[in-house]
Amino acid sequence: MYYLNRLLSGLCCVAILGLTIDSRALSAEEITVLYIGDADSAAHLGARQGLTEANAQGEFMGIQYRLVSQTEIGEMPTVPVAIITDVDASRLVQLADQYQYLPLFNLTAKDLSLREDCIPNLFHVGPSEAMLRDAERQWRQHAPDSSARARAWHRSFRKYAAAQLNIRFKEQFKLAMDDDAWAGWAAMKLLADTMVRQPSLAGEQLIAELKTNLAFDGQKGRDMGFRETGQLRQPLLLVEMDKIIGEAPVRGVVDSSDLDSLGLPFCPK
Amino acid sequence: MKNFSVLNQLVAVVVLGALLTTAAAAPPKRIFVTNEKDNTVSVIDGTTNTVVATIEIGARPRGIGIAPDGSEVYVAISEDNAIAVFDPETFEVLRQFEGGHDPETFAVHPNGNLYISNEDDAKASVFNPKTGEKLAEIKVGIEPEGVAISPDGSKVIVTSESTNMLHVIAVPEHKIINNILVGARPRAATFNRAGTLAYATSEISGEVKKVDIESGTIIGKMPLADDKAKPKDILLSIDESKLFVAGGRANSIFVLDANTLEIHKKIPVGKRVWGLALSRDGSRLYTTDGVSNQVSVIDTNITEVIATVPVGKFPWGVAVYE
Repeated sequence: MYYLNRLLSGLCCVAILGLTIDSRALSAEEITVLYIGDADSAAHLGARQGLTEANAQGEFMGIQYRLVSQTEIGEMPTVPVAIITDVDASRLVQLADQYQYLPLFNLTAKDLSLREDCIPNLFHVGPSEAMLRDAERQWRQHAPDSSARARAWHRSFRKYAAAQLNIRFKEQFKLAMDDDAWAGWAAMKLLADTMVRQPSLAGEQLIAELKTNLAFDGQKGRDMGFRETGQLRQPLLLVEMDKIIGEAPVRGVVDSSDLDSLGLPFCPK
Repeated sequence: MKNFSVLNQLVAVVVLGALLTTAAAAPPKRIFVTNEKDNTVSVIDGTTNTVVATIEIGARPRGIGIAPDGSEVYVAISEDNAIAVFDPETFEVLRQFEGGHDPETFAVHPNGNLYISNEDDAKASVFNPKTGEKLAEIKVGIEPEGVAISPDGSKVIVTSESTNMLHVIAVPEHKIINNILVGARPRAATFNRAGTLAYATSEISGEVKKVDIESGTIIGKMPLADDKAKPKDILLSIDESKLFVAGGRANSIFVLDANTLEIHKKIPVGKRVWGLALSRDGSRLYTTDGVSNQVSVIDTNITEVIATVPVGKFPWGVAVYE
């Protein structure tokens, strides 16, 4: 572990000095991403879908991605460029501290406290509890008698090429894509979409690029970027009786283009 | 280089000729519009700007194109997985052929072949529309959409919406010679007349990019500075000075300087404008305003809407027949 940490900080310093040519040229064709969590989970299948699609893009650019999946961090043949996690809040905070030079993607922990903490290398791909609650509140205002629940994704979502993503996932895994699977897919896809443009990015530079320059197409009709809290801005779906009945931000209640009307928009002062 | 400058001069003469005749030019004979949710094609009379016929064409018609000799019109009927063919004079549906899975957009090559994007297969396919024979398949990125062909027919661009790339394909080899990363969800592209430059829209990043084809590099970029702008079709004016961009939910056509990409004007049209077509002389631009169920007719000299034509439900593609 000590060795890994040293390697990581070494990489980071090289990147800061701009001496990226030699250290990265060797590994430019292969980019390793570490997955920490249950290999049987929907989130993991989603990340694998993202891997397939990242490689479909990488193939045209001479880049290959590998997803190394572990339940706990063990031996690693290569230094990963990022860690995708399906673990709880306390484990996340530990990992973020231990690997502070790597971007860490949180797929499933919805705790608001994680967003309030504004940990620099922690990126929340799935929505927070607060975002889900705000979406439901906006919908209640719009339809006070509705019992709709907010979701990040739904297997019947069709608009904005969501149908195409649902088809691709189902084809590969014979399962319907759910919220966690979407988050796994999105983490891998947005990482690859950033790296393919600048394959030498690593460490703090990669963290900074993700936080400031992302315009990700999560197949939900809007470009998505990260807030300073590390939360991915995104539209949400309102689902009642297993059917999509609306989208948030809710038009007519708030400005429907204002994704920051959902959840905590800024770090607490 | 010498040949190139001769070509440029030739182009200049042709362009000048076109400009001089614009004022006196007759309006196009007909405009054909696919109505995605009606399974029909509306036929608009170019002189009166009214619908004179409606053709039952097939399930979910989207892309539309005309044979180089004007003898036939092709329509991608996506949910029938086919291309329908009709006669532009009699409006009779002549035949249909299999166009691969879920054909959406295609372009007609100067040699008459169709280059089709097959969204769910991550492929572009080449068909001879006379025989229905598939001539080639090219593996591209995920969710291929827009197809553009250079005027000399030597290159084809296919945009991959989920892979965020323009694939430049050489013809007749059907080999990819360049992959160019652009903004999120590239939907459409167009070449300049010389085939040296291309312009592409990205729907999710809401921008236009200008690309040098030879080097495969991006040489210009312009965000549309309207959060609702989800640009789709893009066309170059006949004199190559202006770009027309369908602004999607911005409900406007953006007019850009083709050189600097500076935005000159926003022309308000109907809701969710996607499709664009120019008359042969370049004096008229036709737009499909999907949610308004109408086509807007724009005079490209004054850059204003001069007529709106109610058509079927969710007009998608448009083609001008002279």
